[in-house]
Amino acid sequence: MTPRAWSRVALLIVVTVIVQVGVINGLVLEGAHPDLFLLVAIVAGLTAGPQRGAMIGFVVGLVADLFVLTPFGLSSLVFVLVAFGVGATASLPGGRAPNSFRITIAVAGSIAGTLLFTGIGALIGQPHLPRAQLFSVLAVVAIANAVLVIPAGSLMSWAVNIGPASRDLAAVRGGSAVR
Amino acid sequence: MSTTRRNTSQRLTLVILVLASITAITLDYRGQASSGITSVRNAARDVLSPVQRVLSDVLRPIGDFFSGAVNYGSAVSQNQQLRSQLGALRREALQNQTAEHQLQQILNAEHLPYVQNLPTLLAGVIAGSTSNFQDTFEIDRGKGSGVGVGMPVVAGAGLVGIVLSAGPSTSVVQTITDPGVVIGVRLDAPRALPVEAEGRGTGYPLELSGVTANMSPYKGELVYTSGVMGDSLPAGLPVGTVSSVHYSGGLLTKTVQVAPVASLQGVGYVTVLQWFPTP
Repeated sequence: MTPRAWSRVALLIVVTVIVQVGVINGLVLEGAHPDLFLLVAIVAGLTAGPQRGAMIGFVVGLVADLFVLTPFGLSSLVFVLVAFGVGATASLPGGRAPNSFRITIAVAGSIAGTLLFTGIGALIGQPHLPRAQLFSVLAVVAIANAVLVIPAGSLMSWAVNIGPASRDLAAVRGGSAVR
Repeated sequence: MSTTRRNTSQRLTLVILVLASITAITLDYRGQASSGITSVRNAARDVLSPVQRVLSDVLRPIGDFFSGAVNYGSAVSQNQQLRSQLGALRREALQNQTAEHQLQQILNAEHLPYVQNLPTLLAGVIAGSTSNFQDTFEIDRGKGSGVGVGMPVVAGAGLVGIVLSAGPSTSVVQTITDPGVVIGVRLDAPRALPVEAEGRGTGYPLELSGVTANMSPYKGELVYTSGVMGDSLPAGLPVGTVSSVHYSGGLLTKTVQVAPVASLQGVGYVTVLQWFPTP
């Protein structure tokens, strides 16, 4: 990616931090709130491909870890895996409608990311959530990301300088989508 | 770039990033970089705290407006109930002055800290938890104001959390319902032995462990911090009330759940008790 693209990605991450920490953290439903950091990792994989998406996911994860007190590096590990998986899935051949595909991927990526966080956290001795609360987290994060994936995808496309949606899938298929 | 080379490059990137993340986790866990990471986290929170305060000040009245418009009737009714309860509590406080004086004498004799003697610090709640896996909130007081890690935080009727991390101007408080929290408590019965209360998640009651067969907890019984067993909290802080008692193992063990008396719902300010545990 060019330095200019990275600076736009950095700006997008800063805006994400402000919105998440300043606004979203207060929107609690059944003990859970949306996770914009995970959303950014998902759309990074969708728009920039598995390789660059994983790099963006790594940076987003490190930034997210600054604002939580779980082990530093846990979010970046999860977001790398999610972004890579989303990018690899998006680059599979096959015709699909972009918007419905993005929404499906957002839901799947949100569930996978939340479960990965729980599972890896359990492996390193983090306390686990009650099952009912975990379901609340899964539902709230998945629904919020499904709603926000399309505008977030447009913002990430602008940041990494990808063309219109009709060319997205062809562009990311090789994983070297960004000029 | 051929497909094979591209796939190899992608996998190599993935492996490098995964290893970098695992390295960061290991360094944080093993402690070599833990203090540095904590400093960076505190600095990041402090940089963002002015924005959080502004957003909180802007959004709270908007939220209160809509909440008030929807809940006006119940708010009036609740106000009347609270006035009645306040009057009853004032009467009870006057009646308990003698008992309080005697309790203070006993605690002084046993060298146990008494919460009423502790200096306090009022702090505003500026943000909730960023993680869905931790039950924490952020306050607008830090080390510069005298907040330290481990200090108890109270809101309303009782204990609401413990300071988990203190930066120069903001701090993070871990609520007592967080699954990682274990505190020493005591039932309200005379000569009750200290037990432990464990958080089970947001909105879930605490669970007591160590309740023996000869203890007889009952629904509604008050639970306080014990202040003993090398505990990190002073004695006498109200924690909750017993919400359920289940018998198991042929009546030999009891599972006791405690509903916290303090809640952060709609709370804008909390009080930090400036007390450090005895080393």
